Amino acid sequence: MLAYIARRIVYVIPIVLSVALVCFLLVHITPGDPLVAVLPADASQELAAQMRTAYGFDRPLPVQFGLWLWRAIHGDLGSSIATGRPVLTEVLRAVGNTVTLAVAAALIGFTLGLLFGLIAGYFRDTWIDKVATSVAIAGVSVPHYWLGMVMVIIFSVQLNWLPAVGAGPGGSGAWGWDWEHMKYLILPAITTSVIPMGIVTRTVRALTGDILSQDFVEALRAKGLRELDVFKHVIKNAAPTALAVMGLQLGYMLGGSILIETVFSWPGSGLLLNSAIFQRDLPLLQGTILVLALFFVALNLLVDIAQAAIDPRIKRG
Amino acid sequence: MTVMSDTALQAAPATKARGYWATVGRRIARDKVSMVCAFVLVLIFASALLAPWLGLADPYQGSMIRRLRHIGTPNYPLGTDELGRDMLARLIYGGRLSLIIGILPVILAFVIGTSLGLVAGYVGGRLNTAIMRTIDVFYAFPSVLLAIAISGALGAGIVNSIVSLTIVFVPQITRVAESVTTGVRNMDFVEAARASGAGPFTIMRVHMLGNVLGPIFVYATGLISVSMILAAGLSFLGLGTKPPEPEWGLMLNTLRTAIYVNPWVAALPGVMIFAVSICFNLLSDGMRSAMDIRN
Amino acid sequence: MRNDKSKKTATAWLLATALVVGLPQLASAETVLRIGMTAADIPRTLGQPDQGFEGNRFTGLTMYDALTLWDLSSAEKASVMIPGLATEWKVDDADKKKWTFKLRPGVKFHDGSPFNADAVVWNVEKVLKQDAPHFDASQVGVTASRMPTLASARKIDDMTVELTTKEPDSFLPINLTNLFMASPTKWQAFYDKAEGADAKAKSQAAWAAFARDASGTGPWKMSKFTPRERLELVKNEGYWDKARVPKVDRMVLLPMPEANARTAALLSGQVDWVEAPAPDAVKEIKQRGFQLQANESPHVWPWQFSRIEGSPWNDIRVRKAANLCIDREGLKEGLLAGLMVPATGTFEPGHPWRGKPTFQIKYDLKAAQKLMQEAGYGPSKKLTVKTQTSASGSGQMQPLPMNEYLQQALAECYFDVQLDVIEWNTLFTNWRRGAKDPTANGANATNVTYAAMDPFFALVRFLQSSMAPPVSNNWGFINNPKFDELVTKARQTFDPAARDAALAELHAASVDDAAFLYVAHDVSPRAMSPKVKGFVQPKSWFVDFSPVSMAP
Repeated sequence: MLAYIARRIVYVIPIVLSVALVCFLLVHITPGDPLVAVLPADASQELAAQMRTAYGFDRPLPVQFGLWLWRAIHGDLGSSIATGRPVLTEVLRAVGNTVTLAVAAALIGFTLGLLFGLIAGYFRDTWIDKVATSVAIAGVSVPHYWLGMVMVIIFSVQLNWLPAVGAGPGGSGAWGWDWEHMKYLILPAITTSVIPMGIVTRTVRALTGDILSQDFVEALRAKGLRELDVFKHVIKNAAPTALAVMGLQLGYMLGGSILIETVFSWPGSGLLLNSAIFQRDLPLLQGTILVLALFFVALNLLVDIAQAAIDPRIKRG
Repeated sequence: MTVMSDTALQAAPATKARGYWATVGRRIARDKVSMVCAFVLVLIFASALLAPWLGLADPYQGSMIRRLRHIGTPNYPLGTDELGRDMLARLIYGGRLSLIIGILPVILAFVIGTSLGLVAGYVGGRLNTAIMRTIDVFYAFPSVLLAIAISGALGAGIVNSIVSLTIVFVPQITRVAESVTTGVRNMDFVEAARASGAGPFTIMRVHMLGNVLGPIFVYATGLISVSMILAAGLSFLGLGTKPPEPEWGLMLNTLRTAIYVNPWVAALPGVMIFAVSICFNLLSDGMRSAMDIRN
Repeated sequence: MRNDKSKKTATAWLLATALVVGLPQLASAETVLRIGMTAADIPRTLGQPDQGFEGNRFTGLTMYDALTLWDLSSAEKASVMIPGLATEWKVDDADKKKWTFKLRPGVKFHDGSPFNADAVVWNVEKVLKQDAPHFDASQVGVTASRMPTLASARKIDDMTVELTTKEPDSFLPINLTNLFMASPTKWQAFYDKAEGADAKAKSQAAWAAFARDASGTGPWKMSKFTPRERLELVKNEGYWDKARVPKVDRMVLLPMPEANARTAALLSGQVDWVEAPAPDAVKEIKQRGFQLQANESPHVWPWQFSRIEGSPWNDIRVRKAANLCIDREGLKEGLLAGLMVPATGTFEPGHPWRGKPTFQIKYDLKAAQKLMQEAGYGPSKKLTVKTQTSASGSGQMQPLPMNEYLQQALAECYFDVQLDVIEWNTLFTNWRRGAKDPTANGANATNVTYAAMDPFFALVRFLQSSMAPPVSNNWGFINNPKFDELVTKARQTFDPAARDAALAELHAASVDDAAFLYVAHDVSPRAMSPKVKGFVQPKSWFVDFSPVSMAP
């Protein structure tokens, strides 16, 4: 097992370096002046040149990349151009809020997904299956940002039940797990949960159905095995794949939250990315993308290892 | 997506049978859900294609005096938007761009990804490693993040959004194509072809393409739904289509200011995205189960 | 029945008692004003805000003062410059590049340190002296461009400072409204504690720390700060202008870039006040009993004409015809829900810099068509013009609908308007590159709105021939000797009244020349809860939060 983990980690290192290069290049092919956030368009050319030198944007790209990577390895992603604050602190704080949202959404989405999937798999081709499958397919097909908008119209504007935007009455800095704060989480969490709910339902339904239709289950039943034991058997066989899918979904929720966070002004990494893009704040943009991608890589690694731990056959494959 | 590829992979051996596609066609035709979806999609495609001949209002011509009319207003069956443009016309014309930016990336990625995957899977060795490790780098980004990062870097625009979505889907299709190819390569009938003296190019073209394309195709149709949502999402963020072009995601964005005045008109573009997306998903499901002979 | 009645009475008594008992508590409870801003992020708090004038409004003028301030007390009068941390100033008679400023005595920073000549010199050097330890490149861009001629500062005595400009410039006192006075003592304390490899790194760390815990002299003090989400300010009891000590105890500022989110937050009671509510929600906002505030702003929504060779706008009859062809009232009521003021120039009557133009800008279709026919155009011979605009952008109001409205209106006067819709950043960048640059795509006009607070930004940079690209924003290469002469005259007239008269003359000349297609002034709409009392919206980008109170 340890050898397997070591192999996986070694394998990840070139990926991480390439990811850093992609982040850097992506941001530097950006057209437009990198100093647009601090330099008004009516500033003189000499002022612009002076500031480009002060920020180091006049150096050759490979030098800029080398410097950036060197500092990044030492835990310094530079400072945001627009705010002057260290990028790493900004990103980590935002990621914290995204984690809050993703965990809440995962709780909702995974619970419902597992429930619907198991029921649908057990009662394949009955009306229960049809309902669960329809809910699941709607979940994966709905443009979630639109769903969020519709929910704001209904629950915030029309009914005035839940707040439309933000992360609590005191901002995320004063977050607490009580109703006053949780009510800010409900709409964005539900909106985020629909896709994982749909995907988990579909996965678990397919897995359950497959396992139940296998010959040896019939054999077990014929031998007089209790339904509970059959169920345990299903869980055991479905777990590795289901776990992998859920891990991947969690990763998507962490890294792909920009649309929902924009709709709900949820102060997470997605909203940070959005403002970095529109403010053309290059250090912040590349730092945010890098941190999110690294999270995703790390999560995938964990899922791989966990899967191997549960199902030893994978290690050999 | 992992699920889809898994199921697609399992469907692969099926393609050995002759007359297989006829069977698949017959099975889909018997599936009511798939047929309804196909009908809805054909309707949307046809209306988008034939929009100029449908006697619709000019989708660009606005009027300040008839802004944000409700659904059911005479002459404006689906109301008007924030600039007083006919919603029905804009939704139908909007289908043109929305479908292009939603589907074209998948088609491009299908072509590029299949080629890469076939070559990687068939040739194997160093080339396989080179292709697949490069692909892994892009796989290290969540797809939404990658799409937005590329679009954000390239700037708003239709071409840029198609490019960014293509880059997002190529790795996924390449992976599926590579694993299907590798699986098929080692099967008996390829060995037989090789033994009978067929060159690698012939083998790849005749045997592998036929046996490999099916599963990749099913996988790709499943991606169209994701692509539609993402493409519209890019426009929704202001990273895709630019005004005044009618496009569903952008319309959703610009109509957001109207949700207090006329929420149902503001929700219409989202309904269109939803409809196309769910139809593609159901159709893809239908195809997959039709191709799965074990049932 | 009787039972019911007695129950009701009992309830009423209980309520009344609760009220009486509760009142003292209510009175002593802290009053809070929560505001939703349009900015995507909290403007910088370290003294020189970013995010344009909205930044100055919320994190500049609240926590800080400048040597000169704006009069924000009246909704009717034009907002003019008044003394701030300087009480009086004059230019040197012999050398018009030297100014002496007398400072206001007895003013203290929030950290208790005194405001004096050293502090002024320190604050000038933070953006102008590159080898000063506290020089901060990130604050230079927003500051230096707004006071283009200031060169250096020198202490004369504790309460007197001498400022030097690069060339004689009578606009200096107006420019100085943009230089906010941060506390050198507080910064130095952060600097001494800061860790860093070199002086530059320490300085950067000190500024970052200062931004989290700032100190100025303004009517509001920084209290709590959650980056990107929330800034809390509390009133400064010891503010030097007793009349402007805030009435509410705490002001909470929340960035809400999305108009709908802002409006929803106001309607659901999350905030008490939003800047720029979604225009389509205005009716609903009013119906629900919220107040809508708006007033003419020093802002112009124009088409800036290209005057390079071959431009159709070189014919003054065509420029005048376009100005007479627009029904601005129709635009206001039909499209903007009343939220604009028709523009008849950069400044409207009542403004000290308006002057007396002879060309009256109004809607007169007949006159416009006549001018166009004189110029050789008609229903069968249309004049094609191309205008660059963007779909969004700071201060652009609703660029697409408004331009489409102009397109329709100008068609009546034989114009065939082609709109070239490009990205806001590109449009803004091209504004500096000019009509001859390839990025202009051959456009004959550009549609970038501008703020008109200060004579340089309102007039000089567009009208003076030496301001042509790449120097400044004379996008269309206007080259009019009369404008040049009047600019020089205004800049070198140091008596404030005579300077204003010279500026008025310049403005009148620009209107008579139909230098722009003047369309609209923004009105800075804001919506607030009925509990917000005492607010006055001046004709300015800025507002005074001090007189605002919250009814229970």
